[in-house]
Amino acid sequence: MRGHIHPISSLIREANKIFFDTGFTFVEGPLVESEWYNFDALNVPKDHPARDMQDTFFIKDEKEMVLRTHTSPVQVRYMESQMKKGILPPYRIIVPGKVFRNEATDITHEAEFFQLEGLVVSDDTTLGHMKWTINHFLKKVFRDIEVETRYRPSFFPFVEPGLEVDMQLRGAKAPEKLRDRWIEMMGAGMVHPNVLKSAGVDSEKYRGFAFGMGLDRLAILRWGIDDIRLMHSADLRFINQF
Amino acid sequence: MKVSRNWLQRFFNEELPSAAALAEALTFHAFEIESVEALSKGSPRAVRGESSDNGNDWILDVKVTPNRGHDCLSHHGIAKEFSAILQLPMKSDPLREEVSLKPRYSDISLHIENANLCPRFVAAYIASIKVGPSPEWLRKHLESIGQKSVNNVVDATNFVMFDLGQPLHAFDAGKLHKKDNVYSLIIRPAKRGETVTGLDDKTYALNETMLAIVDGVASIVASIAGIKGGKPTGIDETTTDIILEGANWNGANIRKTSQALKLRTDASSRFEQVISPELAPYGVRACADLICEIAGGEVVGFVDEYPNKQQQTSISVDAGRINAILGSKLSDAEVGGALTRLDLPFTKSGDAFVIEPPFERLDLTVPEDIAEEVGRITGYDKIPPVELPPMSTKPEVNPNFYAAERAREEYVAKGYSEVYTSIFADDGERVIANKVDGVRPYLRTNLDIGLGIALERNVRNKDLLGLKQVKLFEIGTVWKDNKETIVFNSYCETPTNKDSVVSGERSGDKPLTDYISEILKQYDELPLSETKRYVPFSKYPFIVRDIALWVSAGTKEDDVLEIIRTHAGELLVLSELFDTFKKGERTSLAFRLVFQSFDRTLTDFDANERMASISSALKAKGFEIR
Repeated sequence: MRGHIHPISSLIREANKIFFDTGFTFVEGPLVESEWYNFDALNVPKDHPARDMQDTFFIKDEKEMVLRTHTSPVQVRYMESQMKKGILPPYRIIVPGKVFRNEATDITHEAEFFQLEGLVVSDDTTLGHMKWTINHFLKKVFRDIEVETRYRPSFFPFVEPGLEVDMQLRGAKAPEKLRDRWIEMMGAGMVHPNVLKSAGVDSEKYRGFAFGMGLDRLAILRWGIDDIRLMHSADLRFINQF
Repeated sequence: MKVSRNWLQRFFNEELPSAAALAEALTFHAFEIESVEALSKGSPRAVRGESSDNGNDWILDVKVTPNRGHDCLSHHGIAKEFSAILQLPMKSDPLREEVSLKPRYSDISLHIENANLCPRFVAAYIASIKVGPSPEWLRKHLESIGQKSVNNVVDATNFVMFDLGQPLHAFDAGKLHKKDNVYSLIIRPAKRGETVTGLDDKTYALNETMLAIVDGVASIVASIAGIKGGKPTGIDETTTDIILEGANWNGANIRKTSQALKLRTDASSRFEQVISPELAPYGVRACADLICEIAGGEVVGFVDEYPNKQQQTSISVDAGRINAILGSKLSDAEVGGALTRLDLPFTKSGDAFVIEPPFERLDLTVPEDIAEEVGRITGYDKIPPVELPPMSTKPEVNPNFYAAERAREEYVAKGYSEVYTSIFADDGERVIANKVDGVRPYLRTNLDIGLGIALERNVRNKDLLGLKQVKLFEIGTVWKDNKETIVFNSYCETPTNKDSVVSGERSGDKPLTDYISEILKQYDELPLSETKRYVPFSKYPFIVRDIALWVSAGTKEDDVLEIIRTHAGELLVLSELFDTFKKGERTSLAFRLVFQSFDRTLTDFDANERMASISSALKAKGFEIR
């Protein structure tokens, strides 16, 4: 009898396939990250509320080291390493991986969870490309369920313009609980020129977009999972259903 | 921030659209809306807000984004958004008018020690007021957004804060000290040990990181700068003369102080977002005028210390750049039109729009900011999705992920299931300094412990899972020998006769690279989950029963299972054939049945009853129960 892979792994496998076919390279980065990559390089200045103690796990006796709060630091790490190798854009990467928020856990919150980051940089990338990429991914991942998206203004320091993406599942194949409801799916936007500068990329010549979504959340919607804590429960009553 | 439709209406001649239409306009062009509420006869009632006639007022709870905390934590700011989005002209814009701080008042000596912490300090001396209740209109506006009416003077300061965004504070001039007929206000860091009792009757212990407004004559802290006024100099019914303060404070310092004192006020939450020092005179003037209107009195004069002048920013961007960012095809006229709607003054220099944002729009600094303004006002829905062009090079294969996928496939094929356990542990080399729940603060050095706990838990559910043996693996990060590495670990249970002992075969942490013989240019085609929906499982204990029976040759096990399932009822969650042997003409079939309820703990009685019903059904079909 075959065993089962974890639903998050299954989603990452599927996401990687969708994005690989569109030219994206799977990239990773460290979970213990410097404040520079996690915040400063992403245009989150020292006094920004997002850097407050209560959100971020700090490593004791290690100066300015944190558990990364998002997968976005890998944007800067990747671009920087490419530039050092003399490889100029275009870049297309996805970064699936674990991230951390220092908060109490409950049915919808986990201190450790998974994110999927995407980054596209070239000399002609537009918000239109971003919309296509996100729509394409959601349509593929929800397979035969009809997916509608909408884009709203929002704010994240590392993108400008910054947007929020809502999704709606439609039609008979959509789960009844979710059908025809707008659900917040991810933050996205055009890479802030300061982020490109942090990575040593010429922000006059190159532009890009980035997006980041919770994979646990995506799994919850895709399979109708009722408690986010199941993801890290290591409970086969859960895992063996996938 | 709570925004009242009636309050917003003050900025417009034309009637505003319904609350629902207002909410929709903000949602797609500016901010998320947390709620829309109708206020009818003073009692809030959550409704969807289709019609404006249903209630006396409508309250929108607007989630102002941090970049717009400079200008949108006020009815004025939100009114400007509506003006731009809905193309509704405002009656007039108070912040675009000239503001006069005349005459000057010379009987306050003002000293700012550090201009970085207090870029501007404006005050008005108002004499001969009469403190009393506020007029009906003012009370209604404040109460509509959940504020309590205090008295006409305090209400006026609050009204102007929620109206224009400038926090204000009124000191009772009679309770401040004078020397040679001159007041002295010193803005300086507090001294360790200084305390002040706030208007909330709580006493706050200050230290040198916190900024205070000090009565310089008496050397007493009169207020925690930008956060809370002091009780001893507060307004009461005996007050006749006031010093009305409208200052500008350093956002980061206010935030730190407010956190340290665990004191967040409507004033501090505005200052910590950083507001323009140019706003202060508008706030003080508007508030002074309002106080004179509703509390009598007269403005004797103003003081204004403005050591750090705000510089005018200028952003140059052409339509080509905006279109290149947005993927739009906006003409010069359309871009110009959007800027005009947004009240962003510009001049043209060749193709470029040279924009000089109004003082309160501290968020606008680079061309991308202007692209966002134009994009959101013209609407992101207008931007067509465009397929990504093909890449000239193939994406690279990630060695770690490639190896991880190899390992997954190898172990799943052998019957192992994959788990993710927590990276937090009771012991390790690196430790979290500030873990909120305080438990397991270390970063794990291995996967063994987590996997061990996981195995033990799952062994208890083996029958429910229909497994003879629990086999687990994990691919995860560990922090060992000063390195962060991704490792593989597996744990296979060795079933024993003793119920209480779980033992098994462990692989120990192995580097992922063990799974890479060669990395191909393409990932393997691996199966994806075909599961449609997750089915919640019961959290209650289950009961296992076995039943064995003799059947004649030719009897199909599925037919027997069908009878069992029919008579077992809803409590049967798993049933399978687990043993079979032949004796002469007859065959023995043994089935394992698992019973469980979704809403209670089952008893032996429940299981016995189900088993009895199954047995009699099988007997009735002529089977002999062993």
